[in-house]
Parts: sequence; C-alpha cells; structure tokens
Amino acid sequence: MTEAARRRLVLLLLLAALPVTLAAGVALGSVHLPIGAVAASLARAAGLPSWGAPLDGPSAAILWSVRLPRVLLAALVGGGLAVVGTTLQSVFRNPMADSGLLGVGAGAALGAVLAVRMGWAAQVFLALPLAAFAGAMAAIVVVYVLAHAGGRPSLQGLLLTGIAVSALASAGTSVLLVATEEFRVKTVLFWLAGGLEERSWAHVQLAAAFILAGVALLALLSRPLDVLSLGQDEAASLGLPVHATRLTVFALAALVAGAATAVAGSVPFVGLMAPHALRPRVGPLARHLIPASFLGGAALVVLADLAARTISDRLDLPLGSFTAFVGAPYFLLALRASEGRT
Amino acid sequence: MTAVLEARDVHVSRGRAAVVHGVSLSLAPGEALALIGPNAAGKSTLLRALAGLLRAAQGQVLVDARPLSAWPRGALARALALVTSEDEGPGTLAVEDRVALGRYPHRGPFGPLLEEDRAAIRRALERTGIAPLARRRLGTLSAGERQLATLARGLAQEPRVLLLDEPAAHLDIGHQLRLFRVLDEARARGVAVLAVVHDLPRAAAWADRIVLLAGGRIAAEGAPDAVLASEECARAFDVAIRGHAVPGSPHPLYRFEERP
Repeated sequence: MTEAARRRLVLLLLLAALPVTLAAGVALGSVHLPIGAVAASLARAAGLPSWGAPLDGPSAAILWSVRLPRVLLAALVGGGLAVVGTTLQSVFRNPMADSGLLGVGAGAALGAVLAVRMGWAAQVFLALPLAAFAGAMAAIVVVYVLAHAGGRPSLQGLLLTGIAVSALASAGTSVLLVATEEFRVKTVLFWLAGGLEERSWAHVQLAAAFILAGVALLALLSRPLDVLSLGQDEAASLGLPVHATRLTVFALAALVAGAATAVAGSVPFVGLMAPHALRPRVGPLARHLIPASFLGGAALVVLADLAARTISDRLDLPLGSFTAFVGAPYFLLALRASEGRT
Repeated sequence: MTAVLEARDVHVSRGRAAVVHGVSLSLAPGEALALIGPNAAGKSTLLRALAGLLRAAQGQVLVDARPLSAWPRGALARALALVTSEDEGPGTLAVEDRVALGRYPHRGPFGPLLEEDRAAIRRALERTGIAPLARRRLGTLSAGERQLATLARGLAQEPRVLLLDEPAAHLDIGHQLRLFRVLDEARARGVAVLAVVHDLPRAAAWADRIVLLAGGRIAAEGAPDAVLASEECARAFDVAIRGHAVPGSPHPLYRFEERP
C-alpha cells in the first residue's frame, strides 16, 4: 500500500470511528438508551424521516439534556486539545510540547478557583468556565509580555517563562484553595480533576465557538506550520514571518486550549497521545495531521469519558484522572520505544 | 559583471557582542566564493546577515543592487536561499515533502502546487541524486543524505544566490564530492554560490575566490591558493601552511602543522 493510500485509509477510519464512538457515548451509561430510538429522536429533531419510535419521557430528557451535550463536549475538548498539541509540537519542534507550556492550564485553574472563592461560580451561570477562560488568556498574555521584556525571545526563553508563570499561577491557586470555605472546595476540585458532569448546552456553545473557530484557523495555517517545523533560520530564509506566525499560532492555540480547559477542567495527555499515535501513520504535514488529530482526539476523549463514567458503579472517575491513567503509561512506553531506537 | 550580492561595510552584533566589523564583499552571478576562517571568526553570523536573518547594525547588504530592507520577504526568498547544516525537519517528514517546502516562497501559504513547482522539486531531487529517496522519511536517512535533502530544498527555491553554512560538515568523501559537483552545476546555470567551508584544501580546489575572515574582519581575500599561502591565513588559524606543487594538478597539495 502506498503512503498516500495508507494515509487516506487512516483518515477514513478516523472519520468512521468518531460517529461510532459518539453513538456509544450517547447510548451507554448508567441508563442504557437503545441506539435505534436515539437515531429516531435525532432524525425527528432534524426534520428527517425516521424508522422506529423515538425516545420519550425520562429517556428523551437524558438524551437531550445529559448525554448529547456531554458527548459533544467531549468530542470538542478532545479534538481541540489534540490539534493544540499538534500545532505546538510543530512550533516547538518537540513531540512532547502541549498547551501546558504556555501557562494555559495553570492560568485557567487560577481563574476557576478565583471564581469559586469569590462566590461568583455559585451565583452566575457559566461564571466558572468564563473565569477559567479569562485566567487562561491572562496567563498567556503575562507569558507573552514577560518573555518580550528583553526583546524577541527564543523558543527556550518562551518555554521557561511559561513554566515560571505556571508555577506562579499554581502557587496562587493553592493559596486561594486554602482560603476557600470547605463546602466550595469540592466544586473546584471536581473542575481541577477534569470532567464533563452536568455540563449544559451553554457549555457546548461556548466551547464550540472558540474551539471550532480556532481549529479552523490553525488548519488554514497548515503550510506555515510545516515551514516553522523546519526551524527558525530555515523558516525565515523561506520568507515566513517567523515571529508573527508563531504569535498567531500561540494565540489560536491558547484560545482553543483555554476554551477546552474552561469547560472540562484539566484533561491531560490528549494533546500528546493523539498526535503521537497519528504522526507516524499520516505523516507530520499539518494539512494531514491537524484533521487526523482532531478526529482522533475527539474519539479518544469521548471513549475516555465513557469509560470514566461506566468503569465503576459506585464512583464516576474524573475524566482528567482517567486520561492521565491511560496517557502516562502510553507516554512512558512511547518514550522507551524512542530511546530504544536511538 | 555586476554583483548579484554585495556587502558594504557590514557590522553585525549578536546580543551585545559585536561579531562582524565592517565586512565588504561582492558576488557575481555564477561565481563560487568560499568563506573561510577559524572558529568564532563570525562566518555564520556574516552569512546570516547576508541572508537577511540578522540585521546589519551598520552598513548594507544589497541583492541586485537593492538593499535587503527594501525586499519583500517572499521576493527575497525567491532570489536567495540559505542552506545550513543545523536545520532539519521532523523525522517523520518525507524527503520529497521537505524539498517541496522550498517552494513556499513561490506558493505562499495558500497557493496550489503548480506544474512548475512539481518540476522544480523533481529537478532538485534529481540534481542532488536523492530522487530514489523521495518517499523515505528524514529520520531514516544518514546525516549525509539529510544534508543533501536540505540542499535540494535550497535548489527547489530556484534562487539566484545560494548561501551555504558548512554544507559538507557531516558528509563522507563521496557525499562531499557530490555536493560540490551539485554546487558547480548550479554555478554553471548562473547561480552565485557563497559557502562557509572548513576544509581549506577543499575550499581552494572548489572556489573561484576565497575570503578569509578573522576576528570579524576580512583578513585576506583573493585567488584561493594565494590566500592559503598568505601569512594572514597562517596567523588566523595559528598554523604553518605549506603547499607542495603536484605535477599535473592545478592546485598544490597542502600540509598543515601546528606552529611552535
């Protein structure tokens, strides 16, 4: 099989896998929804002809206000984080780069804890995700301003600034957590652990607006991203405005990762796993890897969320912990495999 | 013949350190110029200033008698290509895709791959002899093959000036000979070639002219064998250089010894 044929096959498989995982995510759970009835309900809502009877009563309520927003959110978050991982890995020329490097996660956590500590989260609808999003954006602005204090920074300078700002934000988060009343701490702990419980269509809309727009714009930057992956000197000598391109990519990546983190909390390793697994199969060119990562990351998080909430009857495992339980061993195995090769 | 690339009293700093102090040189179409000098002489810095990656703190670099600052990025990248031995793409990138990125200055972020782009990529692969490796991934190549892929990217740009930073750094003798032959073929098509070369006999055998850089200044310039025989060259490298005439060869055989 030629390389191009294999790439098309992988993309087709991913394209087919996403609806299957979405269907599984909708149908399975503490209450089983028959897939035929789910399809009939969806078809009727879309004004299409359908076979069989749609869901009714409590089952319909579960479909429309619990399962559907949840799986769609899982897909958006997974796809978005995987694309952010892919693009940052191109810019940093390092397969281990992800949104954490820009301070997005730590900034979002600080914003979320602040919203809970100040009581906004309890009073205002969507206050927690909006504060988390604002925190993520604030963190990347701080990273940018500090890194540029001494002129245009190197990638390494940017990376170290991101680590320092993350540490600072985490310290602030800890201080606020300690100072928060106990009954409120649980809200924020749930968010920090990463999860999609009780998310509404408003969360889906918020996430969809930023994640889909950001991913689409990053996909438009595919060729500049490929040029950037060759390194600063070569990219500049090919006529690419390196600094402006990097800045645009970082801003879009922060927007996507910020929105994903705002609605789902911390969902680690998705941005590493999906691109890492797909790069050898579809190649590193962004125009192939971005769509593949989006589909793969989306399916991955839908499945992870499904597993996290069905693996135990007594306890909903936090989604973020689940992706870490799966992602960390994967990461270590991949690391050993790559060390073994060199 | 008019110069396609010209440096006029170029000063370049890296951070606060002044590295290049007032270098002037010019390069004609089809000419081969070797830039030699000891470590830390400022060769790579000068090369990056000539390519427009570093701004001259003072003085000017002109391409086609037009200052670099007056060139739009894309147009400059179509006129002038830089090939270094440091940059490499991701290990999973196919050779052909790597070379195709050399068409970026012609296509821009959204332009389609035209027949002329395909032809340029094909020619670059053939000229560097790596066409059989086209679908191989960079990570599976030897250092020499990767360097040829980088050169092929530079050729795919179809520039009129080719700047190379130690292009033969990782190459075995076979790949070295092939690389300099490819450069000679580019010159024959009118491309001006300026290369930083560490191997002095190789520089002397290949170049039309040598510029010796020492301490960020031009210490000697001229015909290769004259520059190598000069006291300035011996002093710059702190070695004794002796050339022995070889019957039937246009170039002497050089011997280098540490100076007491």
